[in-house]
Amino acid sequence: MSNVPLLELRNISKSYGSVQALTDVSFKAHAGEVIGLVGDNGAGKSTLIKVISGVHAPDKGELLVNGEARHWKSPHDSMEAGIETLYQDSGLAPHLTIGSNIFLGRELRRSGPLGRLGFLDQRSMERKALEELDKVGISVPAGRKTVSDLSGGQRQAVAIGRAVMWAKNVIILDEPTNHLGARQSQEVLNVIRAAREQGLCVLFISHTLPHVLEVCDRIVVLRLGSIVRDDPTSTYTVESLLGTITGLTK
Amino acid sequence: MSVQSPAGATQATPVKKGSSVGALLTNQLTILLLVFIALFFYFGSQNSRFFLTGEISSLVVDFSGLVLLAIAETYVIVSGGIDLSVGSTVAISGVIGAEVMNHYQGHMGQAPLLLLGTLICALVGVLVGAINAFLISVMKMVPFVATLITLSAGAGYALVVSGGGDIGNNQPAIIWSSTGWWIFTWLSLIVLTVAVITCIVLHFTRYGRYTFAIGSNDFAARAAGINVKRHIATIYVLSGFLSGLVGMFWFIRIGSGSPTTDATANLEAIACVVIGGVSLTGGIGNVIGTLLGCAILTIVTDGLVFINVPPTWNQVVVGAIIAIAAGLQVLRGTRSRR
Repeated sequence: MSNVPLLELRNISKSYGSVQALTDVSFKAHAGEVIGLVGDNGAGKSTLIKVISGVHAPDKGELLVNGEARHWKSPHDSMEAGIETLYQDSGLAPHLTIGSNIFLGRELRRSGPLGRLGFLDQRSMERKALEELDKVGISVPAGRKTVSDLSGGQRQAVAIGRAVMWAKNVIILDEPTNHLGARQSQEVLNVIRAAREQGLCVLFISHTLPHVLEVCDRIVVLRLGSIVRDDPTSTYTVESLLGTITGLTK
Repeated sequence: MSVQSPAGATQATPVKKGSSVGALLTNQLTILLLVFIALFFYFGSQNSRFFLTGEISSLVVDFSGLVLLAIAETYVIVSGGIDLSVGSTVAISGVIGAEVMNHYQGHMGQAPLLLLGTLICALVGVLVGAINAFLISVMKMVPFVATLITLSAGAGYALVVSGGGDIGNNQPAIIWSSTGWWIFTWLSLIVLTVAVITCIVLHFTRYGRYTFAIGSNDFAARAAGINVKRHIATIYVLSGFLSGLVGMFWFIRIGSGSPTTDATANLEAIACVVIGGVSLTGGIGNVIGTLLGCAILTIVTDGLVFINVPPTWNQVVVGAIIAIAAGLQVLRGTRSRR
């Protein structure tokens, strides 16, 4: 593990009109680290990940990848920098096939002149999608199924698989175990552990505190747009974590 | 096409399921095709003149007049929008193109004149499309309102430019428009070529893929790094471009530019798309459906004449067809999704 953080935020602030969503948020994330990002609804978790992934630009503050200050003009820029994001419930295009979703924005084109005209190599995309998902430990039905044909758990698996297979530095997972059964949730946690083994940094956003405590190395607690605690997981219990999130106890 | 995945257990079932989805899709298109064939033979059985090469040729011409607008509308609707301005864009581009050609008629040969006209019509179409794109992507208006503005302003401006009457009188163009090969006039062949290209682009290229992705879930498209605003903008420009070409199509057919031609064509184009099974909520559709919808609409409006139904009934019948198609869509939708 090098000393230069893979991802660093310095005094990030963001407001929507009169609503201050984030105030002076700073933290560092290293390679091979799983960081839990928790907080109540409206604490600023979604805004924070949208700033990191380039969906929103911060009003103020710096974002560094591998020690270099970066500015995202669009999510495309953050993807180029090796940051992949799984958005809660809305990361896939339901009417496209699994392969088309996995390769969305990174389509494989045919070789030769047809490819230069933008013709897609759909067959390879469908095949490679299944292969790559399999590599990260996710099995989905074969055949050209659209995402809307899949169950909730399968959709989530495809979305997570896409994030893991493309990520080179950071994976942001927003509520990846939402709507999932106990067994599927454990599979997701295993995928997170595997990503850590590969030296990726995982930002894990969840309301399911036992999952957070189980898989994370460090937990960052957001409340009303500010970080109120950032400590190793071993220093938390479910009760103390809950207390910090709600602010009812210290 | 071998899938080398060690998860062998997951492979046996899906193949069956995948083909049933395919069957459902082809089913829908098959139904449309059967309806078209049935209508064709019904009108023919009522009046045998319907089967004459000349009559079929005029069917093809009428199909050509509608198909580019229907394809333009397919792109827009698949992307989750709507373009109400295609009809008025036909009128305004036809009128301005005619004005320019009128000015140069006699000063240049017929072929260069028509090429110039095509260029002008396409440019006017692109301009209207660019206005739509600006209103939608930059001013953040919803497509319905943005294209309502250009529908109204475009139709009005066509009247202003033309003074309400037809512009130009190009007899050689009319004569050329009826020449061709077998049931195809050269004019329809040109239009059909453009149609085929745009259909292929929608289903087999990255441009088409992004169009579907945006219509399916625009946030997902944006998050995947697609420049959604720019893509949407290009779709409205494409729609304007195709509408401009239709303006030139009508100029060649009637030898003049008319401000009232295709005034209601936006409705017919949307009707083709709906009949063809393209979802108005975006993301779902097959351009083959649109082509069949277009063919059905054409054969019905033309065929009614052959069974002595007054043309005033056309719009009523079109309404009835849309009702049936949309009704079937609702039925199919509730059955396959629930």
